Amino acid sequence: MSGQDAYIALMCSLPGSERLFVAKQPPLSRIRLERRLTALTAKDAEVLNVLEHTLSWSAYDMDVTDVQAIQRCKQALQNIPQPTLRKLFMERMELRSVVAALRLRKRGDPAPSGSFGVGRWSCHIPAHWADPTFGLDTPMPWLKEAHQLLEDEDPLGLERLLLLISHKQLKRYAARHMFDFEAVAIYVLIWNIFDRWAQSSATEAAKRFEKLAQQAMADVADIYFEGASA
Amino acid sequence: MNELVLTLGWLGIYAPMALGAASSAIGCSIAGMASIGAMTETEGGYGRFVGVSAFPSTMVIYGIVIMFTLNRDVTPENAGGLFGIGILSGIALMYCGIWQGRACAAAINATKEKPEIFGLALAPAAIIEGFGVFAFVFALVISAGIS
Repeated sequence: MSGQDAYIALMCSLPGSERLFVAKQPPLSRIRLERRLTALTAKDAEVLNVLEHTLSWSAYDMDVTDVQAIQRCKQALQNIPQPTLRKLFMERMELRSVVAALRLRKRGDPAPSGSFGVGRWSCHIPAHWADPTFGLDTPMPWLKEAHQLLEDEDPLGLERLLLLISHKQLKRYAARHMFDFEAVAIYVLIWNIFDRWAQSSATEAAKRFEKLAQQAMADVADIYFEGASA
Repeated sequence: MNELVLTLGWLGIYAPMALGAASSAIGCSIAGMASIGAMTETEGGYGRFVGVSAFPSTMVIYGIVIMFTLNRDVTPENAGGLFGIGILSGIALMYCGIWQGRACAAAINATKEKPEIFGLALAPAAIIEGFGVFAFVFALVISAGIS
């Protein structure tokens, strides 16, 4: 079977990626997904692992330096032979570089000397440090909204915007791949976005719960003090 | 020289059947794998998936009919015509079968999510079938001119 038909049965055994976002309950757990992915060849499984591992924030230490992160990105690229996946990977890294620059500037850091991050805009970003969108309005029209959300100190809104942008990017690439390895890798990356999306909702729920619990505890404290004074 | 021409003639007679069989095998296996994958994800409607995955099998039938139509004594005069019609109709059937299998696989993949689009999802496969019928019918029409 040719490369473009390599994973027909695997792709057809996965629920549609659109359903991941509309479902109240995840239609596919990580365990089930892993079980389905056993159909991948050892080489493809390794590429997917590199891709997922490099794009996953949880795989990075808290004290990782820029140099280490860039080095890791370059190493990952050497292990990804598929042109589509390489392009997709670089696009995601460019997105992260720009967002990291936004955060650093918000923190009050001066323009980095030389280049910053990875990708096409690594020299462009320090050169346009004072511009709210680093002069990248045309290639990244969402930057204005991201900048505004950061200024408004709305991290959840920003997280959701970035997930939405990443999802759109993946869907754009997915349209050109139906049943090949690239389609499987893109599906897994979309699943990861869905997972993070669900987690961000859980975080919001946890915050809400904490606030309610604090309110409830405040009432209990009042009762206690009333009782103590009586 | 005559031997080579006669060989090409015989090649032309058998090509539609051989290439049609190959295309049906590849197309059915592509669509069949899709239906097996979809069966693991859905709760019912398995028969429909299997039925759709058999669509590309028509190409071998067209190939057999063309082969019987072309089948005659091969002479240096008619060998070129037999070769041309046989090989080209066979290639056309082969492409139709393989791509119909892919269209069926896409239809099965879409139908497992939205069963209500089953009929519409089969339209691309039906259009490809139409191209296969063109290759088949006109191979028969043209072969009538070969002595």
